[in-house]
Amino acid sequence: MRTLPVSSATDPGNLRDRLEEEVVALFDEFREPLLRYLSSAGMAFPDCEDVIQETFFALFQHLHGAKCRDNLRGWLFRVAHNLALKRQYRTRRDLELPADAGAENSVIDPNASPEDQAAGSQTRQRLLAVVQALPEQDRRCLLLRSEGLRYREIARILNMSLGGVSLSLARSLARVARRAQQSNL
Amino acid sequence: MKHEDQHLSDQDLLLDVDGEHSAHDEKRVRAHLKACWKCRVRRDELENAISDFVHFHHSQFEAKLLPPDGPRALLKAQLTQLAAAEPSQPSSWFALIHRLRWALAISTCGVLALCLFLSHLGRHGALHPQAVIVSIPDSRLTPGAAVLMDQRQLCTQPNIKNKLVPVALQRKVLEEYGIEGVEPRVYEIDYLITPALGGADDIHNLWPQSYSATTWNADVKDALEDRLREMVCTGNLDLAEAQQEIASNWIAAYKKYFHTDRPLPEVR
Repeated sequence: MRTLPVSSATDPGNLRDRLEEEVVALFDEFREPLLRYLSSAGMAFPDCEDVIQETFFALFQHLHGAKCRDNLRGWLFRVAHNLALKRQYRTRRDLELPADAGAENSVIDPNASPEDQAAGSQTRQRLLAVVQALPEQDRRCLLLRSEGLRYREIARILNMSLGGVSLSLARSLARVARRAQQSNL
Repeated sequence: MKHEDQHLSDQDLLLDVDGEHSAHDEKRVRAHLKACWKCRVRRDELENAISDFVHFHHSQFEAKLLPPDGPRALLKAQLTQLAAAEPSQPSSWFALIHRLRWALAISTCGVLALCLFLSHLGRHGALHPQAVIVSIPDSRLTPGAAVLMDQRQLCTQPNIKNKLVPVALQRKVLEEYGIEGVEPRVYEIDYLITPALGGADDIHNLWPQSYSATTWNADVKDALEDRLREMVCTGNLDLAEAQQEIASNWIAAYKKYFHTDRPLPEVR
């Protein structure tokens, strides 16, 4: 996590420019994880980009207001999550994964043999089916953890207890593991 | 030996994989894993499930993610536009004034809290060591949250009184504020933006308001809430502005709308 050196925070001439640089650097670092998280939660890509723009705009104002700098990654995910929920309320759109998301999201490795491609595609379809079948809260936990967030951060974003987060993750991964074992039989 | 034959749960194993155990639990789990093949295999299965999921999750987006150049340029343009819209006053002054304002507010609260603490000691001998007087909520924990409704929808509803917050949620709010070992009756878990102004039933809108506060207490805030609702419903104040003002600093909002530096006697 980048933070401004103390001396720059007191320099009257270029505080704003430095803040802007810092926010853009954070944008480069976290746009992709945020896109993955929001998109996996069922939001269309253009909407995800809008939410991310709003999030970093809010981050700039947050930092410009000399507010707390602790754990900006957690702050970004929390704000993006809340903005996405607000957008959901506004547009009344369903945030669940679309039924054809599997086909839309399938990625084929051009270097793999046709057999490997078929096997890889099957594995992905099975995993997608498992992930889609998870309750929304469990899916969000899993997605946030896969983006590197710690349990405490996830608990705060999703308004859950720490025990709830670990239970949810264990439940989801047990399902993924079970499906992998069934595939190998 | 205690728990020798009891296998570890998936939750325990996952906490170990993720390095989220306390030092004591970590030692216990590691000791069990050393001796138990079955749990070691299960731990590996969970690790493999993580690996499968991460690979799957990331591969879904590799081909779809657009380069960041366009969105980055858009963000820069928005920030530039924001700068153009701001007053010409240097931002460092803004930050400095902001910090001074907070420093003043914090020191005032500190002095007030100290006076109340000492007076309470004088009357009752000692205050519970964990009891903290909270007059203004922590904006990081309680930024305020509102439901989506406009002025017409709000004002056609009857003046909604604050709903009772479930005890479990009350405990969670106290925990978030690091207040432990106190009787719940020492605090009222209050809505920052009252439901009468469209406030949401959400932990981000709840904070522990101390009953020990004698000056800026719940009665004073109730009076402000009534005043703001009246102004919103008579068209003299924008609903979003009312929500923003009460969420950012309700004491400052009280002073502004009652034109006073201290609570009026009839509402204390």
